[in-house]
Amino acid sequence: MKDGIYRNTCPRNCYGTCSMLSYVKNGRLIKVTGDPEHGYSKGRLCAKGYAYTQYVYNQNRLKYPMLQSPRGSGKWKRITWDEAYTIIAEKMIELNERYGSNLPCGYNKFSGNLGLLHYATEGMFNSIGPHTKPIGNPCALTGKVANHRSFGSHFSSIPEDMAGAKLIVLWGANPAVTNVHQMKFIYQARKNGAKLIVIDPVFTQTAAKADIFIQIIPGTDMYLALGIAKLVIKNNRHAREFLESDTEGWNPYRAYLDNELSIDEICHKTGVTMQVLAEISELYGSIKPVVTWAGLGIQRNMYGSKSIKAINSLAAVTGNLFIPNGGLYFMHFNVDDFPCALLNHKGPIHPSVQASRKVDISDFANSALQLSDPPLKLLWIASRNITQDHNFIAWQKLFEQLELIVTVDLYMTKSAENSDLVLPAATHFEEEDLHVGYWHFWLSVNQKAIPPYYEAKSDLQIARELSLKLNELSPGFSNFPADKEPIDWIKEELTPEILDLYSINGYEDLLRRPSKKAKHTIHKQNQKFRLFSPTEMRQNNVRAAEPPSPEKHEYKLITPQSLLKIHSQFESLSWLNKHHDDSYIEISNEAALYHNINNLEKIEVYNRYGQLVGVAKINPYLQKNIILAHQSGNNPINQLIHQQEHLVSADVSTHFYDSTVSIRKWSEAHV
Amino acid sequence: MFKQLGYVFNADDCIGCKACEIACKNENQTPAHVRWRRVSKLDTETFLSISCNHCENPECFRVCPERAFTKRSDGIVEIDESRCNGCKLCIEACPYSAPQFNSETQKVSKCQMCYPRQDVGLPPACVEACTTGALGTVDLFQFTDPESIRSLSGFPDIKITNPSIVFYPVKPRTRYFLK
Repeated sequence: MKDGIYRNTCPRNCYGTCSMLSYVKNGRLIKVTGDPEHGYSKGRLCAKGYAYTQYVYNQNRLKYPMLQSPRGSGKWKRITWDEAYTIIAEKMIELNERYGSNLPCGYNKFSGNLGLLHYATEGMFNSIGPHTKPIGNPCALTGKVANHRSFGSHFSSIPEDMAGAKLIVLWGANPAVTNVHQMKFIYQARKNGAKLIVIDPVFTQTAAKADIFIQIIPGTDMYLALGIAKLVIKNNRHAREFLESDTEGWNPYRAYLDNELSIDEICHKTGVTMQVLAEISELYGSIKPVVTWAGLGIQRNMYGSKSIKAINSLAAVTGNLFIPNGGLYFMHFNVDDFPCALLNHKGPIHPSVQASRKVDISDFANSALQLSDPPLKLLWIASRNITQDHNFIAWQKLFEQLELIVTVDLYMTKSAENSDLVLPAATHFEEEDLHVGYWHFWLSVNQKAIPPYYEAKSDLQIARELSLKLNELSPGFSNFPADKEPIDWIKEELTPEILDLYSINGYEDLLRRPSKKAKHTIHKQNQKFRLFSPTEMRQNNVRAAEPPSPEKHEYKLITPQSLLKIHSQFESLSWLNKHHDDSYIEISNEAALYHNINNLEKIEVYNRYGQLVGVAKINPYLQKNIILAHQSGNNPINQLIHQQEHLVSADVSTHFYDSTVSIRKWSEAHV
Repeated sequence: MFKQLGYVFNADDCIGCKACEIACKNENQTPAHVRWRRVSKLDTETFLSISCNHCENPECFRVCPERAFTKRSDGIVEIDESRCNGCKLCIEACPYSAPQFNSETQKVSKCQMCYPRQDVGLPPACVEACTTGALGTVDLFQFTDPESIRSLSGFPDIKITNPSIVFYPVKPRTRYFLK
């Protein structure tokens, strides 16, 4: 690799999808900066982004393929890539002979790297014909489906346009921690007189910056949004013409708000007082343009779908949905515009098995365990650490059933520790890729800037080489086009339609600067906006359990993203995270008093699924019945998270914030 | 002296994202325990991002037996690490914990306000990284703004060294906590 400056794109599951410049000297990454040509991040990165030199040259990074036998023993042996491929290929072939198809082989891949070429994992499995594949999205599916109901497609306004808003209302979103570059657009609006309102159960870093912070009982956003809409309509501040002619369901929605939902009920459910409800309704009804941002936090509980629809409807009622600098923010799925050739690679037809088996990724282990004919026997884990899933008990059972577990990762995660084989993955600096955001509308490339760290390889390179090995041992086993280079795959994504959408002539343009999707192509209305439907409320009302409380020894567990990690990524970087940072458990004043727990005292958090030791941090702003814990890979709080099976379905993401836990002072007697 | 370069820190605009702190490490490749810039909390809602303040009367300069510190004509206080004997007197003397002891090299280093960058017209790495524009640099000989203040509650006493930093305070906000 030549010395110089390369253009990379941060591939993390993050709003930023930041284009970055990588400074390379003697084949080594010496520093990174933001890319001034990227109109969203505008030449800046976040703290994690600035730590990438440590991420690449970290002594904990995996260097070589390794085999652990027996599994879980910690007895690892370095092997060659050829040996690793042989072990995997022989197992796949043997399972195929034993069961007559590749259905016993499956993978669990999610968002560790969102580059389009990382669909190589999916492409590799497709290339062997019918197999077992995950579907869905544990993070955002509830909101995606709810938005489809409201808009007929995915919908999320243009982030840079937020700078022109006059009122910005964030529902369950914490950009000061999770989307730092958005804050400058919010501040820009504020410098021009806009107000920022944050609605959240937790007094977040963004809440601390808000002009008005409204604390709410978790999961009750639906009621607050309906309540605000009720008052806006009552005060005749609604967008009458738009609602009557351009929406569906106006009459039943209005009748429901007028006749069936009382202000008392709203205040009781949400914990928000009548005065505050009136104040926010007045602002929502009198100011234009208003930005409404329904954060991912809204849909981490069983009421998520209704809350998203109710919030969308509030934006419609106030006439802000389709006006300049107003709008509705969630996230978008513009990646669907692309061919995603690796994801959609067509595999060979099997004589008797029609299609791959699909397993809901939001309850993967439990669903995979239900498969019996044939059972799942080989699991490939890539771009994924299963400590960020839930239902660990099912995972443990699944592990016991599996005959080969392969994990591709950069670090020895808990998933890797539970595997037979680990394969060292490349960082984005060591591979080529193409990236499209899910928040902003920029397209950017990722150049190979440095040689691989030791023997690390990209998911695409692994797919190419494994398919060659499969075909060597069993000719025709895989139809993966192993001769195609990364650049060929990138160019295949840049179809004439894509070039047109992003106003570029070709790949070379992206080497000079990222490119934004043309504004007029971003939102195409293909149906009338559908308002929140009261019938759904009546028919499908989930009966709320009594709220947890210290007196009952029960707390609601909330586990938001922390600043210096993304789930378990970046955890082992000493610039960012000290070892003990993981284990802080935030508790309320009331809980501290009730359990006689002092600040920084060791405590246990537990429920029937597991227990975890942490350090109590008393948070005076925390609601009395909430425990707030940070996500972690080493000491994973998700072991206490378990979504009830009857609430799992194909169109919801995981209810990460619906679990109940108890706490107590730590004592050796409990160990 | 022709200039006194200093920092402007707007506590109201700082979101505590630590990009400045890590951008400094990225630029200067300092080990984890050598923290030229640090983001901390002064109280539950006020963040402070602080490095060497390139004081008008630097205590480090005064106490160093090896005369390792110099003050440039633009006001930047430099340290020549090769002269440092590791006595740590500067660390004790500095009210802002600016000099940082590197246990591997047994020498002190500190923020030099990215003077190599400034000499070619670039802002310091921390300033460039600040996404909300909360952190900036100014020539304090020229700077006047009646809304700026000399200190923040919880910031160490400025009388000893006259640090080259000015602040904007956090503005009051409306909060409705659950009863």
